[in-house]
Amino acid sequence: MEKLNYDVVVVGGGLAGLMTAHEVASAGFRVAVLSKVFPTRSHSACAEGGIAAYMDGNSDPSDSPEFMVYDTVKGGDYLVDQDAAEILSYKSGEIVRLLESWGALFNRQPDGRVALRYFGGQTYPRTRFVGDKTGMALLHTIYERVSGLNVDFFSEWFTLDLLVTDRRVTGVVAMEMKSMSPATFGAKAVVLATGGNGMLYQHTTNSYINTGDGYAMALRAGAALKDPEFVQFHPTALYPSDILISEAARGEGGILKNNKGERFMTKYAPMKLDLAPRDVVSRAILTEVAEGRGFPGGYVQLDLTHLGEKYIKERLALAVEAGRNFAGVDPVKEPLPVRPAQHYYMGGVDVDVSGANPDLPGLFAAGEAACVSVHGANRLGSNSLLETLVFGRETGQAVVKFLENSKEVRDAPNPEKVVDDAYSFVKRESGVHFGEVMKELRKTMWEDVGVFRDEERLKRAVSKVTELRKTAVNMYVTDRSKTYNTEFFNALELRNMLDQAVVIATTALNRTESRGAHYRLDFPKRDDKQWLKHTLAYLRGNTVEITYKPVKITKWMPEERVY
Amino acid sequence: MKELDKEVKVKVKRFSEEKGTWWQEYTVKVDKYTQMTEVLKRIKEEQDPTLSYRASCHMAVCGSCGMRINGAPRLACRTIALEEVDRTGSDTIVVEPMDGYPVLKDLVVDLTDFYNRMYKVKPRLHPSEDVLKGKSEHRLKPEDQSRLWKFAQCIWCGLCVSSCPAVRIDVEFLGPAAHAKGYRFLSDPRDTSFEERAKVLIDSAWRCTYCYMCYEVCPRDIEPVEAIKLTRTYTTKFGPTGDASSFGERHSKAVEESIAETGMLQGGKVYVKTYGLVNSLISMIELMKDGKATKLIMERQKKVRGIDELRKLLGEKQ
Ligand SMILES: Cc1cc2nc3c(=O)[nH]c(=O)nc-3n(C[C@H](O)[C@H](O)[C@H](O)COP(=O)(O)OP(=O)(O)OC[C@H]3O[C@@H](n4cnc5c(N)ncnc54)[C@H](O)[C@@H]3O)c2cc1C
Ligand code: SF4
Ligand code: SF4
Ligand code: FES
Repeated sequence: MEKLNYDVVVVGGGLAGLMTAHEVASAGFRVAVLSKVFPTRSHSACAEGGIAAYMDGNSDPSDSPEFMVYDTVKGGDYLVDQDAAEILSYKSGEIVRLLESWGALFNRQPDGRVALRYFGGQTYPRTRFVGDKTGMALLHTIYERVSGLNVDFFSEWFTLDLLVTDRRVTGVVAMEMKSMSPATFGAKAVVLATGGNGMLYQHTTNSYINTGDGYAMALRAGAALKDPEFVQFHPTALYPSDILISEAARGEGGILKNNKGERFMTKYAPMKLDLAPRDVVSRAILTEVAEGRGFPGGYVQLDLTHLGEKYIKERLALAVEAGRNFAGVDPVKEPLPVRPAQHYYMGGVDVDVSGANPDLPGLFAAGEAACVSVHGANRLGSNSLLETLVFGRETGQAVVKFLENSKEVRDAPNPEKVVDDAYSFVKRESGVHFGEVMKELRKTMWEDVGVFRDEERLKRAVSKVTELRKTAVNMYVTDRSKTYNTEFFNALELRNMLDQAVVIATTALNRTESRGAHYRLDFPKRDDKQWLKHTLAYLRGNTVEITYKPVKITKWMPEERVY
Repeated sequence: MKELDKEVKVKVKRFSEEKGTWWQEYTVKVDKYTQMTEVLKRIKEEQDPTLSYRASCHMAVCGSCGMRINGAPRLACRTIALEEVDRTGSDTIVVEPMDGYPVLKDLVVDLTDFYNRMYKVKPRLHPSEDVLKGKSEHRLKPEDQSRLWKFAQCIWCGLCVSSCPAVRIDVEFLGPAAHAKGYRFLSDPRDTSFEERAKVLIDSAWRCTYCYMCYEVCPRDIEPVEAIKLTRTYTTKFGPTGDASSFGERHSKAVEESIAETGMLQGGKVYVKTYGLVNSLISMIELMKDGKATKLIMERQKKVRGIDELRKLLGEKQ
């Protein structure tokens, strides 16, 4: 097997990975960026609404970074580490400035400064945006910048696993998708910036590639996931493509209706109606569908038609575009088909504010792959792009310090084992193929570890996922092609998804309270006395080991979360 | 509302290094919402896991899923299966890999050539040192932002290059996407390497045939050919930077003169002025064969009315 050596390997070419690589390369270290897709195809490109930032001299005069910390802490239902939220907030302005200086085409105010707008959960408007394609704009800007530096890109290289030697991380094994040839990448530090895991759920707004490979790699290497039970769902994703229809559609007067044409939110939230919080609306929609008042396929309608063509086109351009291009529906003339879908993963590889994992020296994580605990139990809109860049940079700088004090590492003794494990699927002559298991897994997670949770469902999920993990041992790959064999990589992704699923289901069963996005029908209240603490979960063979860690509170004591 | 499921046949052009090329047909149930990416996903997960294709965002922002659908270069995620059936009147949807790139496997093509074209235009802002060091800050007019954003929205899908005839025959031509990208930085008031960019872009800009294919196929409405036209206007300032642009500039000068003289485009005259008499005669002989040149030489234009006003507007070239 070929062996390459770097100071640092960054796995992931989204916003977080590229920002980290920028810092490491700028400090003169040798860095490789591995990505299973060409970097600009990363999920970061999907972000629509914007990036939150308090900018000195270009914010609401009454606003301050302190308010931004507070909004973030409250939005996260107090499971936020407040020191992390402070870094996020205080460094937000300089991050937006940095991206602007690299060419990002933020929308402007008449005087040429970066424009801003309101987003859910903000006391004052703070969101900076590039039309409704903020993620795409920022991802291209940072890729353009970093591709001009001394960084080696390995695009369409699939990372299989971390290498651990003498209880520290010493590199990764990856495979070029085109030639199917594996290689070891020796490194003193590895940064996981592998993004989220929406594909675990039957319905998700995430990209097809979001299979959470990094979470699984970290687990298999012996690192913990922090707060894995926290998964965010969005009430209005377009049926059946699950493309996000922004909250703005309801904000502007859109009405949700069931198959009888009834405005069903009158039953679930008589006061706030269609504008009730995301989790309430998601639960209402799913109840309608479950009780037979949805449309075939399992959706309800978001009706905008009464708003009139002019208004819709002016104020809800993106909903119009999405409806027309992706569902063949013109929202001016007929209602949009919508249903809830998984949207964001708050849990992640356990790291501190420098992106370092406490279990394994040399292991770092950033972006949606990491849990720095800035989002707590529920992420605020437009805080996630910000997190990828702020903590991508913090992590990059911490890696540089780590390298300055780091000794040479010993080569991993047996990297071939990683490849053999992967190839074991190909060697088999019979068994299940990935599609069968994948479907069941995504259905189980959606029905039993989704918007509604209770003991019965979660227990059922744990045993189902455990069973699927056993079935997957007999998975096999029918395609024997030695170029770009996507079936092979889908099988590996499925293996990764199963490893996380068992952790998510088990920790969700364990947390007997409702907080943020984690809603237990059998424990509908938040319970700070018992549960104001982070979950840490390890995967040892088939056992999920759970421990806890206190939440860092600097100033904001928990209070009830009402809006 | 018609929710009915309908069966469509999907005929895919397959390829693997081991087996070569073959066609394979699948039958898939779709409804009026089903995107082609979803069709492919169902085939892969439920019928034939060996089918390879690229797809990521399923919302036309990542640029992964370029392919030919019923002959047209398209993003699969931006194509609704039943709309194709309506358009062609056939229940069979034909899916092939993008043209113009080597096929790696099934619908997956090698985009190395596309990426190299993009890197040639140095696709990144070169801001001033002061801005980079944080000593000063950019301001950008809202109208500049929206003008630039139009060209900056390229998702590197490769569809325009795959359908551009000039790219195939002219190795010196950068291609539509690279030109859109190049122009986006050339005309960004925050950039400092204006001349360097002009040198890379101007000559290539004259190699485009104005066939408008890129305009037709671009899923993000970038209109690369518009960027090319705008880049050509920089020729006067920087002068021609190679063969194509010197011909090109003479060409547009001739066009301008012809309009100034008669208020009309006199094809024959423009041609002679651009390429010189001898060259023109040689190509005329070629053109005579299909009767085109006869028309070029024969037409003698009358002045249109109001030509004197027009001359004033053009600045009255003596
Ligand atoms: C529809 C939608 C809209 C959103 N809108 C907003 C918004 O307006 N504001 C906001 O703040 N947030 C938004 N978010 C969230 C935000 O987009 C993401 O959280 C963020 O972009 C994640 O970035 P990342 O760099 O961590 O990961 P990603 O961009 O997902 O990148 C992950 C990278 O890891 C690589 N990778 C993964 N596995 C492997 C492997 N095994 N081997 C090699 N490489 C691998 C991938 O190739 C990719 O390059 C939105 C999310 C969705 C779904
Ligand atoms: S207009 Fe020019 S760039 Fe566009 S496809 Fe035609 S030749 Fe190519
Ligand atoms: S210009 Fe349009 S068609 Fe060409 S690569 Fe960019 S997005 Fe694709
Ligand atoms: S899947 Fe991203 S553009 Fe089609």
